[in-house]
Amino acid sequence: MPTIQCGKHQVHYELIGDTGRPVITFLNGLTQNASLWRGYADYFVPRGYAVLAYDLLGQGRSSKPIIELKLALHADMLDQLLDRLAITQTHLVAISFGGVIALDFAIRHGQRLRSLTVMSTFAELTPHLEFFGAVMLLGLTEVGLPYLQHLLYPLNMSSAWIAAHQEQIPDMKRAGFIGNDGYALQNLMESFVAFTPLTPDLPRIRVPTLIMNGEFDFFTPRECHDLIRRQISNSRLLLIQHAYHAFTLEYPAVTMRQLEVFLGQVSDGSWRGDQSVWVAADDPGAPNPWLPCAGDWRRAIQIGTAPAPVADAVPTHS
Amino acid sequence: MIEASTYDQARKRISALGFTPDIQTKITLLLSTAKSGNLMFHAGVQWLPRLDLIHQAMLTQYSRELEALTLLSRTTQWSLNPALAIRGGQILAPLTLAWGQVMLPPGPLLNPQAAYRGISLGHAQLARIRLAPVIPDQVDPLNPFIVALQRIELENGRLLQTQIRLLKDMPTSVPLADREARVLADQQLVDGVFNDFLHWLASD
Repeated sequence: MPTIQCGKHQVHYELIGDTGRPVITFLNGLTQNASLWRGYADYFVPRGYAVLAYDLLGQGRSSKPIIELKLALHADMLDQLLDRLAITQTHLVAISFGGVIALDFAIRHGQRLRSLTVMSTFAELTPHLEFFGAVMLLGLTEVGLPYLQHLLYPLNMSSAWIAAHQEQIPDMKRAGFIGNDGYALQNLMESFVAFTPLTPDLPRIRVPTLIMNGEFDFFTPRECHDLIRRQISNSRLLLIQHAYHAFTLEYPAVTMRQLEVFLGQVSDGSWRGDQSVWVAADDPGAPNPWLPCAGDWRRAIQIGTAPAPVADAVPTHS
Repeated sequence: MIEASTYDQARKRISALGFTPDIQTKITLLLSTAKSGNLMFHAGVQWLPRLDLIHQAMLTQYSRELEALTLLSRTTQWSLNPALAIRGGQILAPLTLAWGQVMLPPGPLLNPQAAYRGISLGHAQLARIRLAPVIPDQVDPLNPFIVALQRIELENGRLLQTQIRLLKDMPTSVPLADREARVLADQQLVDGVFNDFLHWLASD
């Protein structure tokens, strides 16, 4: 993978496919790196796209500033990287920490976007999220990187995935430990100390925007995504069934299919950003990939409309 | 950045041979050199007239580095092969030299540039010398040397907080660009030494 100098920082990137095609740029979550998007490149390049992924500052082989790293620098760095690669416009797809960068980029550099997809992310620190962030930072600084890795598995993945990957998890953790530097992750997390909520500026995002959220994502729960949906008029919210936070890794086939549908609609002009809420079909081959969402999507339970008979509603104890 | 394959080769070697006296001696030579330098640097805290917040953190670091050296020296099964000390000295010479430069008279207590360099070098060591990935899965977790190694590894992450806070927040007249260049240079120095060390660990 090549490295490019952007200002005083080095950025390690991977660009697959001819940049004359529509480019999809992927932004990583906190502990990820560019190589995790290779499966997405394998899917989208044969379908006529070029795929750009890169290690954010503080990740993988890109520069890992120690003294200073402002959150806004990430979006400015993406702007510079696109300049250096002569990419005028891109579809931007981002998850979690990368989603915050993507929202910031869309607000300040929106003219460079064909579309925006944000997944498992947030525009402001809700009290719940602020506590989560503090716990993560405390764990990283007082216990160490292995603790943070332990914490992130159950936040990111379902029990089914963890059960199916028990034997591989130690190797995955070791690879993550080698590829990540605790101080660099700490720097990324501490950049939120001065974080100004992006919510008031979200209405400035005019490009087609797909917001994706896992059904059981209790790390960045529904309220974070619904906030973004309400503020971006040209958006839709798509819920991924059974998924936790890192559904790009747990359900890549579903995610790629949904992205393909969205990007296709943007390209052929059939996209309708009406702030509606949908559910992704479980089967990536389903002819109808988006299902209407019944009930209140912000709730975790569904309440029937007809009252139950009193005798059934009151539990009896013997 | 250290290549994952470099860690893999070292772990494969240890997995095949176990933690032999040669392997233990190599590891202890590396950690002792790094920690002796950092210990020497922090020893100056004993001369400070009071113990405010940062001085307490430095005292903790001094104490923990001393603890790490004691743990290593008491748990290592030493090799009798003198060639290890000679080769180890060659590989670790850049670190020895760098700490020597930091401690040159008048010393870091009286030389702000040397003080900043010591903090920067300590950061690079605590952040980049990471031996957990070379420990094979099948080792005896109660082996005293392994226990010491894992304690030291975990403690390094905590100790690093002192350097992080100082590098970010300490008042200094050194411009930001110069400080970042200093930190980067020390990181590259430590990465170079550690990379050579891992290759040495993977070899006969």
